[in-house]
Amino acid sequence: MAARGTGPGEGAGLADRRLIVVTGKGGVGKSALTSVLGHSLAARGRRTLLLEVDPRENLHQLLDVPPSGGEIVPVADRLYLQNLKPQDVVDWVVRKQVKLEMLVKRVLGSPIYHRFVEGAPGLKEMAILGHALRVVRGETPKAPPVDTVILDAPATGHGVYLLTASRLFADTIGHGPFAEMAREVADFVSDPSATGIVVVTLAEEMPVQEALELRGSLEDRFGRGPSLLVANGIYPEVPSDPRGSEEMLRLWSRRRQVNASELERLFSQWAGPKVELPLLPIDRGPRLIRELQARFDAALDGLEGTSP
Amino acid sequence: MTRPLDLSSETHPLLIVVGSGGVGKTTLAASMGIVSAAAGIDTLVMTFDPSLRLKDALGVGHAAEDDEIEVPLPASADGRPPGVLRASLLDAGKTFDRLVARYAPDDGSRERILSNRYYRHMAGHLGGILEYMAVERLYEVAAEGRYQRIILDTPPTSQAIDFLEAPQRIVDFLDSGALKIALRPWFDDGGGLKATSSLGFVGRGLERFLDRIVGMNLLRDMSEFFRAFEPMFGGFRQRAEKVEGLLGSPDTLFSLVTGPGESRIPDTLFFARRLAESGYRLGPILVNRVHPTFDDQGAVESAGEGQGGIDTDDGGALFRWLGESHHRGLGQLRSLMPDGQQVVDLPLEADEPTDLVALRGMGERLQRRLTERP
Repeated sequence: MAARGTGPGEGAGLADRRLIVVTGKGGVGKSALTSVLGHSLAARGRRTLLLEVDPRENLHQLLDVPPSGGEIVPVADRLYLQNLKPQDVVDWVVRKQVKLEMLVKRVLGSPIYHRFVEGAPGLKEMAILGHALRVVRGETPKAPPVDTVILDAPATGHGVYLLTASRLFADTIGHGPFAEMAREVADFVSDPSATGIVVVTLAEEMPVQEALELRGSLEDRFGRGPSLLVANGIYPEVPSDPRGSEEMLRLWSRRRQVNASELERLFSQWAGPKVELPLLPIDRGPRLIRELQARFDAALDGLEGTSP
Repeated sequence: MTRPLDLSSETHPLLIVVGSGGVGKTTLAASMGIVSAAAGIDTLVMTFDPSLRLKDALGVGHAAEDDEIEVPLPASADGRPPGVLRASLLDAGKTFDRLVARYAPDDGSRERILSNRYYRHMAGHLGGILEYMAVERLYEVAAEGRYQRIILDTPPTSQAIDFLEAPQRIVDFLDSGALKIALRPWFDDGGGLKATSSLGFVGRGLERFLDRIVGMNLLRDMSEFFRAFEPMFGGFRQRAEKVEGLLGSPDTLFSLVTGPGESRIPDTLFFARRLAESGYRLGPILVNRVHPTFDDQGAVESAGEGQGGIDTDDGGALFRWLGESHHRGLGQLRSLMPDGQQVVDLPLEADEPTDLVALRGMGERLQRRLTERP
């Protein structure tokens, strides 16, 4: 199976999606890939919002803008960034339901409500995706029109939970506005034409193991794997006449060998669209994102070439 | 002043290895365990979800999820009789179930809790539960006193700090007003809300309102869970406090594992400060997988702005840059740490350890770095 789509840049069909969830093990470069994908889609004409849920903001550093502070802020043409507090979305649902301002304050201020939000399984996860859904549907009054939301999701274990929690939540509570929202989100996430999942990994044992397990649980629960697999931070091949000390060459060839054998293991079990990105000698920041984007775009266009 | 960590002496019976996901905590914890046991100290390594490679290296499989599995030690060079080394895998859900089974007053309430929908969903996902269960297990094993040293490899959180906050979050949860309210008999025999039925028409309105917002099913599940759990709360809370006390005990030493590079520094500083504020003891900070610099590289050419395209195939330039940038980060971290804080850099090795001998080699190199005079 190769890439879907027909126009340029529609490798892996990502340019058609309304929501793209970027996930993978901790430390593999999810935020960098989120930034790269955002710039890439915006350059292809999609109005794109990057959604970050880590309370300690860091995407803005990669995008060269001030921190979002919870608002939707412009990054570049057609590209926006927001750091979302799930609690704010939950509060919004309550506000919509409870028309009386006095009562709203009492509900939102009560410790029981806060414990409920902490303890209700799947509520926050549902709220994050519910927000993304509202943004792409143009239902948020202050937001600019957006075609695609890219979510920089939590690390793998939590990532699967993020995607499955809404169904769980809808089933647990049955009915009411939260349940309705949860069901809408669950349907949206299960629809392969609406939601794409991008799995990022390093070509090392543990991240590859997690990427394969993640693919397995996605297939179990959604009947489909990721839309795209990105192998990040690949060491270059060792040329036949390399220069450098023996020690350095040994390390280089061993690291490259680990990459090569892990990529082989990964791709022997994954026939879908994939992109490999090199380890680059550039500090983490906007310049790294630009360099990676050039390579990512080329790879995505290459994917297009392979489609029937 | 905290005594420096020496894996071959009997100081520091509890060693907690913390750090963000993907920095190599588990491998380091295992290698420390081997060095410790090889020095004659009976040691248990408690770990979460190690890689297949590490499981193979330690020779522990699924059996270690329920038991502590003995790890055969490679022969010691100095002929000193080795201590016992055991490894166990931790599973938050199972630990929670085991606690319930132990503290439930009778079979009926145990079954009510274990089969409660809210418990089943919550047990694995309540914020910090995995971290809390790790310390809970540590407390349990430490109290039994079967080992001279326990090394706890903490669960892979996105931030190291999540681990420290877990016990307090559980205590807060148990202390919260929500709990007291949840413990009231909310529902009458007909499944309606008791408090509201006495309010007549108004009460039914309130019930409809609550139902509309969150759904009565969830409230019923939560209420049932808390009621079934009630007899255990006292013991649970006491334990959470003792567990917290254990973390702060002079016997307990934290070792923070981090990756190289400047982007890791804020996390590391934050964690070190939080430990100090909580009165916990931070042992060595281990900066893992630092790219070495090589002597014959000559001047480092910066791949900075202004240079043309980047040649991604130029491994020499890449390795120079990696070595330089990792050591720059290391230097910065050292300069930002208070005097006396041990910061040990561990080089990226050509091969990942795949057996006990390699793990032991790694542990011995670490031990030398820990005990060398500055």
